[in-house]
Amino acid sequence: MKIRQVAVLGAVAALALTACSSEGSTTTPDPSATSGTGTATGDAREITMWLAGEDTPEELRTWLTDEFATTTGATLNIETVEWGELLPRLQTSIGNPDQTPDVVEIGNTQSPTFTTIGAFTDLTPHLADLGGDKLGPEGFVEAGSVDGSVYAVPYYWGSRYVFYRTDVFEDAGIEVPTTLDEFNAAAKELTTDEQSGFWLPGQDWRNGISWVFAHGGDIAVQEGDQWVGQLSSPESIEALTELQDLYTNASKAPKDGEDAEPWTAFNNGDAAMFMAPGWARWSISEDLTENVGAMALPGTDGGAAPVFAGGSNIAISAASPDQDLALEALKLIASEDYQTMLAKNGLGPSNSDYNDLIGDDEFAEAGRAAASNAKLTPASAGWAGVETDRIMEEFFAKIAQGGDVATEAAAVDAALNDALN
Amino acid sequence: MSDLLTKPPVRGWRLTPPPRPTATSRGARRGKALAPYVLLTPVVVVFVLALGYPLVRQLVMSFQEFGLAQQIGTKPPEWVGLDNYRELLGDEGVWGVVLRSIAFCLVNAGLTMVVGMSVAVLMTKVAGWLRIALQSILLLAWAMPVIAAMTVWQWLFDTQYGVVNWLFVQLGFDQFAGHSWLLEPLSFYGVATVIVTWMSVPFVAFSVFAALTQVSEEVLEAAQLDGAGGWQRFRFITLPTIMPVVYVVGLLQVVWDLRVFAQIYYLQGAGGLRSETDLLGTFIYRLGIGNSDYGMASAVAIFMLLLTLALTVGYVRKLAKEVD
Amino acid sequence: MRERPLRRTVLNVVGVLVCLTWVFPVYWMVNTAFLSADQVRSATPTFVPFGGDLSAFGRVFDESFVASMRLSLIVTGLTVLVALVFAFLAALAVSRFRFRGRKAMVLTVLIVQMIPAEGLFISQYRMLEGWSLLNSIAGLSLLYVAMVLPFTVWMLRGFVDGIPVDLEHAAMIDGCGRTKAFFVVTFPLLAPGLVASGVYAFLQAWNEFTLATVVMAPGNRTVPLWLRGLTTQSNAAIDWPGVMAGALLVALPVIVFFIIVQNKMTSGLVAGAVKG
Repeated sequence: MKIRQVAVLGAVAALALTACSSEGSTTTPDPSATSGTGTATGDAREITMWLAGEDTPEELRTWLTDEFATTTGATLNIETVEWGELLPRLQTSIGNPDQTPDVVEIGNTQSPTFTTIGAFTDLTPHLADLGGDKLGPEGFVEAGSVDGSVYAVPYYWGSRYVFYRTDVFEDAGIEVPTTLDEFNAAAKELTTDEQSGFWLPGQDWRNGISWVFAHGGDIAVQEGDQWVGQLSSPESIEALTELQDLYTNASKAPKDGEDAEPWTAFNNGDAAMFMAPGWARWSISEDLTENVGAMALPGTDGGAAPVFAGGSNIAISAASPDQDLALEALKLIASEDYQTMLAKNGLGPSNSDYNDLIGDDEFAEAGRAAASNAKLTPASAGWAGVETDRIMEEFFAKIAQGGDVATEAAAVDAALNDALN
Repeated sequence: MSDLLTKPPVRGWRLTPPPRPTATSRGARRGKALAPYVLLTPVVVVFVLALGYPLVRQLVMSFQEFGLAQQIGTKPPEWVGLDNYRELLGDEGVWGVVLRSIAFCLVNAGLTMVVGMSVAVLMTKVAGWLRIALQSILLLAWAMPVIAAMTVWQWLFDTQYGVVNWLFVQLGFDQFAGHSWLLEPLSFYGVATVIVTWMSVPFVAFSVFAALTQVSEEVLEAAQLDGAGGWQRFRFITLPTIMPVVYVVGLLQVVWDLRVFAQIYYLQGAGGLRSETDLLGTFIYRLGIGNSDYGMASAVAIFMLLLTLALTVGYVRKLAKEVD
Repeated sequence: MRERPLRRTVLNVVGVLVCLTWVFPVYWMVNTAFLSADQVRSATPTFVPFGGDLSAFGRVFDESFVASMRLSLIVTGLTVLVALVFAFLAALAVSRFRFRGRKAMVLTVLIVQMIPAEGLFISQYRMLEGWSLLNSIAGLSLLYVAMVLPFTVWMLRGFVDGIPVDLEHAAMIDGCGRTKAFFVVTFPLLAPGLVASGVYAFLQAWNEFTLATVVMAPGNRTVPLWLRGLTTQSNAAIDWPGVMAGALLVALPVIVFFIIVQNKMTSGLVAGAVKG
């Protein structure tokens, strides 16, 4: 009995001791994990860049670190931060010179939260090196600006367009729609017991909001220094009613679903259409590629409907001790090589000169058409709060569940007024 | 020896008073008088540094307007007196969160205790092989890290491919095809309750089972001979014996379930409607992280601490009495 | 005590049902980890992983996993060790001595457990920032030790209370000094208590992820954050077999730890299980 006790204690102690001995080598944080510590010495300088999620392909990251080493002689550490962790991490570290990333990618809708409190460096004097007039899309530049100064420049963008099954359309004898009404009609007509005409998950407001934009509605507009919610405007109500009809009669997507992985249903043959940012094309099953078409969501009077533009901005932390190096990294991103690689990977480049490189197949066409008319969320510092509170997700889920449009819209406008001001 | 070995843990739960100090020489006594303070020093230092200091800061922040600008140092914090508390107490949404938290805590702690105690009693009554199986399986469930368990449960309740929906459809309830469990707040809390209970029952079951094994067989048999039924024996002999353990475990469940965070936070990310399913833990987190309103978040946290104290004051007093 | 046969059968059936309820999620995790993506995304669930393979493990087992596993093991090990030593000393003080402030100490230990952690992290971040302990194992472990100490002190206090002082006295009469008597007699009797408290501390430190998010840099993730990352990759469908394989990998060290200490833990928690 006693021997066993000793053995167990020994095991616990051994576990703890291994922890201790290896601890010696790790108490000093991994050098790649802290930034800005190597400010003084020339050769050992290094900066840290946070890239959000997995959106930037590996190839681009490698190019960036290699090129940075060659041109500056310093080291660029790229760290991936999950989208869900980006806000808490930035909020705690951005003011601390030792902890802050020097360069940080941030969702365009999150930018105002940080630009308005002076967390980022003013990039206005350097705009010429970062793309100048060609920098876009316009909405992204606005999202990164305060009072005419630019604090966060566009990194990449992707506009949402519609993927559809050409064979399903043909079998049903339906023409590819050219107006929003035709699109709605087609979506309902293609819906069967097993198939959604248009796959639209309940919480997927980033696609659903296109209907509001197309009808001339908006999320919120600035009146004086106040933001005023617009989802209960007559235009928005009309659009939301139309959308509710689609939720009920054209989509079998889960009412609690978000915009993640809409192609799964499409690949399974459960949906005739879905809407997603351009990079979704790489997720479509190879068995289907012959039968997949792409189009920009048509507007009410033809042409492309204004859709929601997704993407990121990139900025330099005001607390970074290596402003010059951080700027070099931004210049590399603005370089021809990098912009070309972005475009080739289906990510909209921030310099509009390179937009054509996205390609000229119908996917690229649809993407460009959609981008020509893309809109962003309100450029208010409070928008990040709207996202964390999931106000839009909940509102659209309620519409999808058949809630009364006018009542819900009035409620969400009140919530928006609260959060944005 | 082995008999002694089996006793300490359960005796330990019973909060036996420490022995009176024995008489020793005067010098030794002075050393002895210092000894407890020396022994306590490390714990006190950790408490003061890692909990006390942040708690005081939090208290200070709760009287300030403290946002992101203050956090990164571009603006100094502004004293607002009791404004945060006033706003908090006047906000219906906050009261909704408080009431939901209390309800969730009572339902979950209650359910966990009932199920846990039942499983513990069951373990004393079933065949030997089954008892071992129960113990191993409960141990396995107990060992599941929270995030790992949450991913599994998210997958079980998945709208499209979840096995729970499939099972209901097989049983003839077709409306469960593609059912979204997390969308309705009540159903959301139902799922959360299943998960929290599943994760907390093993601890309760093991603790109570340990206490049950200390119930005297002889007394039980004597009672049976006197004609006491099964329920009577449980009520008048077993229950009083295990009560001290039940008390402590119950207190812990109440405290833990009131500050439940990980499960709710995770389920909200998996499809729950945040504004309708927030409990105090996620509410504070959202105020701080989402809205960068650290002043308000601190005020709610202080309020929550007071609320927990209020809810458990009876328990704490009872336990404190037993300490002497 | 003897049960009537019918009643015993009913109880056994209930026992089996309880087993199934508690084991199913664990089984489902293991099962899914071996399935292919097609099997997972089909209308009828696959209940037995026939024809399954290890590819899901291959997909998630990468450098980032090894790094986060290493970090978690170190932080958790350190937390358990330090917390046990500190808690044990405090338990001795509270249990073996009567002194001024003793009751206050016990109450503090109880009340400290009620502090809502979610409200503290900004202050805790600021504190570590002041000491240059951000993004360090020492800093994170310190916060974890503080997190688990209240309950470990409380638990160990109970165990120390349960060990009769007379035993030590007997040893002292046999010629041991007080300290020696303690280590020879009392300490071994405490093993189950140390193990039970250690298990608690281990689970808490292993599971925590909010503090780990803000205190550590993105390159230094603990296993819960690594696992959560698998479910939130924005551009791809959730790879359920991969996620389940990841969950299994994260659970494995805990299960191994439980098996190692299982003997002591069952005697710690399930004392005297042989009666029946």
